[in-house]
Amino acid sequence: MRADRVFIFGMDCMAPQLVFEQWRHELPNLARLAGGGAWGELRSTDPPITVPAWTAMMTSKDPGTLGFYGFRNRKSYDYDELYFANASYVKEKTLWQLLSRNRKTSVVLGVPQTYPPKPLNGTLVGCFLTPDKGTSYTYPDEVKYELDRLAEGDYIIDVKDFRTEDKDALLEHIYTMTRRRFMVVRDWVKTKDWDFFMFVEMGVDRIHHAFWRYHDVNHRLYEKGHKLEFAIRDYYKYVDEQIGTVLALIPKDTQIWVVSDHGARTMAGAVCVNEFFMREGLLTLKDKPAKPTKLKTSNIDWSKTVCWGEGGYYSRIFMNVKGREPQGIIEPGDYEKKRDMIKAKLEALGDEKGNPIGTVAHKPEDLYRTVNNVAPDLIVYFGDLAWRSAGSVGMDALHVFENDTGPDDANHAKEGMFILSGPGVVPGKREGTRIYDVAPTVLSTLGLPVPEDMIGKVIE
Amino acid sequence: MEPRVTLKIPRPLYRRLSQLIEGTGFASVTEFAVYILRDIVAHQKGDIESALSAQEVEAIRKRLKSMGYL
Repeated sequence: MRADRVFIFGMDCMAPQLVFEQWRHELPNLARLAGGGAWGELRSTDPPITVPAWTAMMTSKDPGTLGFYGFRNRKSYDYDELYFANASYVKEKTLWQLLSRNRKTSVVLGVPQTYPPKPLNGTLVGCFLTPDKGTSYTYPDEVKYELDRLAEGDYIIDVKDFRTEDKDALLEHIYTMTRRRFMVVRDWVKTKDWDFFMFVEMGVDRIHHAFWRYHDVNHRLYEKGHKLEFAIRDYYKYVDEQIGTVLALIPKDTQIWVVSDHGARTMAGAVCVNEFFMREGLLTLKDKPAKPTKLKTSNIDWSKTVCWGEGGYYSRIFMNVKGREPQGIIEPGDYEKKRDMIKAKLEALGDEKGNPIGTVAHKPEDLYRTVNNVAPDLIVYFGDLAWRSAGSVGMDALHVFENDTGPDDANHAKEGMFILSGPGVVPGKREGTRIYDVAPTVLSTLGLPVPEDMIGKVIE
Repeated sequence: MEPRVTLKIPRPLYRRLSQLIEGTGFASVTEFAVYILRDIVAHQKGDIESALSAQEVEAIRKRLKSMGYL
């Protein structure tokens, strides 16, 4: 496979079962690309979350090597607040940095974990982690004015007011964001010089999280005939059409990708991980709140605490180890025994009726080549990601179904999707493709050497 | 922005770099040199500094929480 140019459509959270099965006949542009190319599931990172997944894709390095395990990470073994792993923390080379060094030009638009922007040979627009548009979120800086000019006067970094009950307004806002981003893409694909062009659309992820209950017959809140029943399908059709308009502008010999960083699945509910630890006597608070409250480490009685957890689409568990944490109580010699005990308890925890849900608690050293910086002691997928993790305390329950920590319609699935089309690509379904395989394949396509420390392999 | 400083490099190297950047999107040797130097600095190990202010961190935290990431 060789091509002079590579174009990647990054669709955050695009689900393989929807593209390749359920709506196969309703997405003509994706179907045409897949029909003439390689396609299949793309195994995401552990955890399958936007950060670190896109950076893992762009560096072909696992989260352990990258040294971040989610959006927020521990800086040290102190009990401080977690820090955000933005682009400043990415120390491994991304695809466009390798290409810049080889004097190839890139356009990088909205790829997660690219704020604050780093220089490259080309143009970069920072991701949805940009705090606001007053900051320098593009490289070169003046590109941000061009963005607004091309995008109806207001380029949208990410949806605002995601928690609104006004679903119609939210839906319209997602469409506006996507429409404007594609306007920029259509212009830049013609007017910018590029060997590599990548943009990531966040709308797919946002629409899943906000509208999955209307779409999935297996969601507990599904109502047949609801006016939003086809909101996700119609948006997929819109995105497919928009992709079609860009494809019409891309030179013929270009290698084209459509990729997602993870998939989507119905969310059953949330497991209150810290409530569970309190009931098991593993976590003690100084003051037990009467209503749902964020767990603050300043409210933890460390002399009586073995472990605590973080909320999110998956859970991270931290243990309180003597000589490691400031007021640790687990003897270092007991660490493995205690960790296995916590793992076994979490994996045995069922749903609200006690039925098994298939929770898996991973040890980081089993997942990654190396474990840099401060990793969680356990990385937990409740119900194999059918359940999210609620970190709040004062919940008075182990399971919640409507909570204040975020929308609960969809969770992430470990399998994202990919389509790869272009000169020399042998058509057909591929099995076992991993997110780490994207960067080596792109380098090889452009005739550049694949660094030996990349985890992935070139897709054949 | 702080005023820039001047670095001196050998002229043959400058000529070689001028050839190297032809058709690459780098408008000048200076632009290319700044890119390469920043790239090296960005990959230095050591204390990692966040470029974000406390207010920016809070804005991002709120957004991520509302979207269910946290």
